[in-house]
Amino acid sequence: MGDFWFEFVDITQIVGDGLLFGATYALIGIGFSLIFGAMGKLNMTYAAASLAGAYVGLAAFTFVDAPALAVFLVSALASGLIGFVVYVACFRFIPINNHLAALMASVGALFFVDEIIIHTTDGSPLTFPAMFDYVMLELGPYGVRGDLLFVFAVCIISTVGLLYVLYRSRLGLATRAVSQQDVAARLCGIDVHRTNAVTFVLAGLLGGIAGAMTAAAVGVLSPLITIPLTVKGLIVTVIGGLGSIPGAIAAGLLVGGLENVFLYFRGVNERDMYVLLLLFVFLVFRPHGIFGSAINRD
Amino acid sequence: MAYYLGLVQLIGIHTLLGLSAYILMLTGQLSLGQAGFFAIGAYSAGILTVIFQLPILPALFIGALIAAFFAFLVGFPALRVKGLMLVVATIAFSEFVRLFFFNLSWRVPRGDIVVGPDSTNGFREIRYFVANGWSAWEITAFVWVFVVLVMALLWWSDRSRTGSVLRAVGEDELAAQSVGVNLTAVKVAAMTAGGFIAGIGGGLYAHTATYVDHLTFTVLLATFAIAYPILGGLSSVFGTLVAVIFIQGVLVEGLRFLGDWRNIVFGLMIIAAMNLKPSGLFDAPTARILKRAIGLDERGKTGA
Amino acid sequence: MLELRGLSKHFGGVKALDGLDLTVDEGEIFGLIGPNGSGKSTTINVICGVYGQTAGTVRFRGELMDGQPPHRRLRAGIARTFQNIRLFPNLTVWQNLWVAQNSHQDIARQGFLPRWLGTTRQTRKEIAGLLELADLGHKGDDLAANLAFGEQRRLEFARAAAARPKLLLLDEPAAGMSRVEIDDLSRRIRRVRESGVTVLLVEHVMELVMGVTERIAVLNFGNRIAFGTPSEVQHNQAVQEAYLGSSSPEPRPAGRKS
Repeated sequence: MGDFWFEFVDITQIVGDGLLFGATYALIGIGFSLIFGAMGKLNMTYAAASLAGAYVGLAAFTFVDAPALAVFLVSALASGLIGFVVYVACFRFIPINNHLAALMASVGALFFVDEIIIHTTDGSPLTFPAMFDYVMLELGPYGVRGDLLFVFAVCIISTVGLLYVLYRSRLGLATRAVSQQDVAARLCGIDVHRTNAVTFVLAGLLGGIAGAMTAAAVGVLSPLITIPLTVKGLIVTVIGGLGSIPGAIAAGLLVGGLENVFLYFRGVNERDMYVLLLLFVFLVFRPHGIFGSAINRD
Repeated sequence: MAYYLGLVQLIGIHTLLGLSAYILMLTGQLSLGQAGFFAIGAYSAGILTVIFQLPILPALFIGALIAAFFAFLVGFPALRVKGLMLVVATIAFSEFVRLFFFNLSWRVPRGDIVVGPDSTNGFREIRYFVANGWSAWEITAFVWVFVVLVMALLWWSDRSRTGSVLRAVGEDELAAQSVGVNLTAVKVAAMTAGGFIAGIGGGLYAHTATYVDHLTFTVLLATFAIAYPILGGLSSVFGTLVAVIFIQGVLVEGLRFLGDWRNIVFGLMIIAAMNLKPSGLFDAPTARILKRAIGLDERGKTGA
Repeated sequence: MLELRGLSKHFGGVKALDGLDLTVDEGEIFGLIGPNGSGKSTTINVICGVYGQTAGTVRFRGELMDGQPPHRRLRAGIARTFQNIRLFPNLTVWQNLWVAQNSHQDIARQGFLPRWLGTTRQTRKEIAGLLELADLGHKGDDLAANLAFGEQRRLEFARAAAARPKLLLLDEPAAGMSRVEIDDLSRRIRRVRESGVTVLLVEHVMELVMGVTERIAVLNFGNRIAFGTPSEVQHNQAVQEAYLGSSSPEPRPAGRKS
C-alpha cells in the first residue's frame, strides 16, 4: 500500500511538472493556430523564429547583462520582428490560394533561420541562464519547481493578454473578421495585408516568450531543438484542432503532461516517439482535434 | 572520377526519392513523409545484406516491400486528412521513423567484428558492394538500372488510363468519385507505390553510402523529395529528373565554393523561387515550351 | 427504378431535406423543380452518396443504397452531372471520358492490365462514339479547360454517359445556356432516354422542364409540395405560391445553395 502511494505521488508529480512545462507548447500551438486562423496557412518557420528570438534574448543577457525581465522582452520583440519578415518573405506576395507555395517558402525560411543559428553559434548548444535561484515550493508530498511555476504564470499572462487583444481591441476585431470571412472583411475596408502582418507579429511576440521560456526551463539552447519543437508545435496545433486557440491550450498541456510520463517510463530517447503516436491516435479517432469543428479543411 | 560517379549515383537515388513524391502529388496528396519510407528502405535493405547476408537484389526488393507495407498502412489514416493536415501527419510519421532508428540497436557478431544498427552511432559497415568487389562504374550502372526501370514504368502508366485516373483524383476528388473512381483504392495505391519507390531509393542509398544514421532522414530530406516534383512540374516524370540534376548537380555542386554557407543560400533560394514562380519553376506553360523545344510534346496522343 | 422514402438530410439545424418521398419509374424523364434552397441539389447528392442521409432510404432497382460509397452507386448505374460543371480541366477531352469508363461491363470486359496500362480497340471505338454524339469529335486532344462553355456542358454529359448509366441525374444542365443550346440539350436528353436510360432532371429553366419531362415533382423546404404532369403542376396553387412566395409558411433559409 505504501509503495503504491509513493508511486502515485511520483506520477502525479511528473504529470504536474509536465503540465507546467506544457504551457510553453501551448504558446507555440497558439502561435500556429493564430496564423492558421488568419490565413488558413501553416507557417513552418514559426518555432524556429521563436527559438531565434530566445537566442537574441540570450545575446542581450550575455553582452549587456540584461535583467531577466528584459531578456524575455527582447526575445519577444526579436521573434515578433522575425515574424514580420517571414510574413513579407513567405506569405505577403504569394497568391492567397496557393497554399503549397507559401508552405514551401516557409520551409525554406525554416532552414534559413536554422542555418543562421548554426552559423552564429558554431552549432554547439549554449547555456541559457537560470533566471532565478532554485526555489522549491513544498505542497504536502509534492514539490513545485519555482522556475516551472514562473514559466506557467508567464504563459497564462501572455495568453490572457493575447485573448484581450483579440476580443477587446479594434485590431483584434479586424483579425477575427479576416479569419472568418476575408472577402467580406476586405469589403468593409479592413486592410487584410496589414491585419495579417499584425497577426504574424502577435504570434511572433508570443513565440519569443515561449522560446525563452523553453530555454529557461531546460537551461540550454541548441539548434538541434528547432525541428523537434516545430513538430511538437504542429502536433499540439493538430490535436487541438487547426485554428482553435482553446484547443491549442488544452493540447499543449496534454502533450506536456503525457510527455513527462513517457519520459519517466521510457527515457528521453523514446519520449518523442510516443508523443508522435499520440498524434496518430488523434488523426485516426478524432481527426478534427479536441475542439475542431467537423468542417473539412483543406 | 570516383567523386563524379558518386554524384551520378546520388542523382539517381534522389530521382527515385523525387518520383516517390511525384506519384503521390499526381493524386493531390502532398507528403513530407517520403524521408520516412526512404529510411525504412535503407535500414531494411542494410539489415538484410549485413545481418542476414542476403544478396543485394532480394535485399532491395524486400526492403522496398517493407517500405511499401508501411506506406499502405499510412495511406488509410491519410485518407481522412487533406492538404496541410496531411503535411503535418506525414512529417510526424517521418519523425517517428527517424526516432525509431535513432533508438534501434541490433548488434550481431560477424567474424571478429560486431555489425548492425547501433542507435545513435548509426549503422556502419553496409559493405556489400565493396565486399563483392563491385567497381564504382558497376555500382553506378546498377543504381541507374533501377532509375530507368522506375521512370519507364511511371512514364508508361502516366500515359495510360492509370495516369489519367491519378490526375483526375488530383484535380477534383468529388468529380472523380462521381464518375466511379474508387478514391480509397487510388489514393492508397499511390501511397503504396510511392513507398515502394522510396524504399528502393533508400536501399540503394544505404549501400552506396555504406553508412546511414537517423540524421540522414530528416525533414530536410523530405523537403527535397517534394521540392523536385514541385520544381520540375507534374506534366511528366522527366521534370523531376531535370529538377534533381539541377538541384543536386548544378546547385549543390556549383555552390560548393560557399562551403558551410551553402545551406543558407538554399533557404533563400526556396523562398525566392516560391515568390517568383509559385506554381513551380517548370510549370505547365514552361514545360510545354520546353517539350516542344526538344520535340517531346506528348499531350494529346490519345490512345496510349 | 428509384425510390426515395422519408429521405431527410440536416446540416446542423438546417433541414435541407425533410422526409421526401419520390418514385421515378423506369424509362421516364422525371423533373424535379423548386425555388432556390428547396433541396433539389441535396437530393441529387444524397442519391449519389456524396452525403449520407440523416434519415430515410434510397432504393435503386429494388436495392438498398444506404452506406454505399459514390463509386459503387455509379457501378450500380447512377451517373450524374454537376450544377457548376466539374470536369478535369487539365486532362484532355479524350482522357476525361477515359477516366469515366467504370461500369461493371467495362471492368469485366477490359481485363485488369489493358484497363490500367493500355487500351483496347473497343475502348477507343466507344470513346470516339461518345465524342461524336457530343459533337466534340475534332476536340479529343484539347484540354477540357480550353473548351467553350457549351462544349464543357456537352463533355460533362458525355462523361456521365461513358459510365453506361441506367439512371442519369442532371443537375441544372441548362444553367447559363442560350435558347438554341437549350433546344439542343432537350434533343440530347430525349436521345439518351431512347437508349434506355431513365433521367432525373433538376432544373430552373422552365422551358426545358416543361418541354421534355413527363412527370414533375415540386420541392419546397425539403419536401414535396406538388406532383403531376407538367400542365397539372403549372396550374397548381401551391406551386405558384412557392415560386411567388406569397404565403410562405416560414421565412426561406438564406445563404444556402439548393
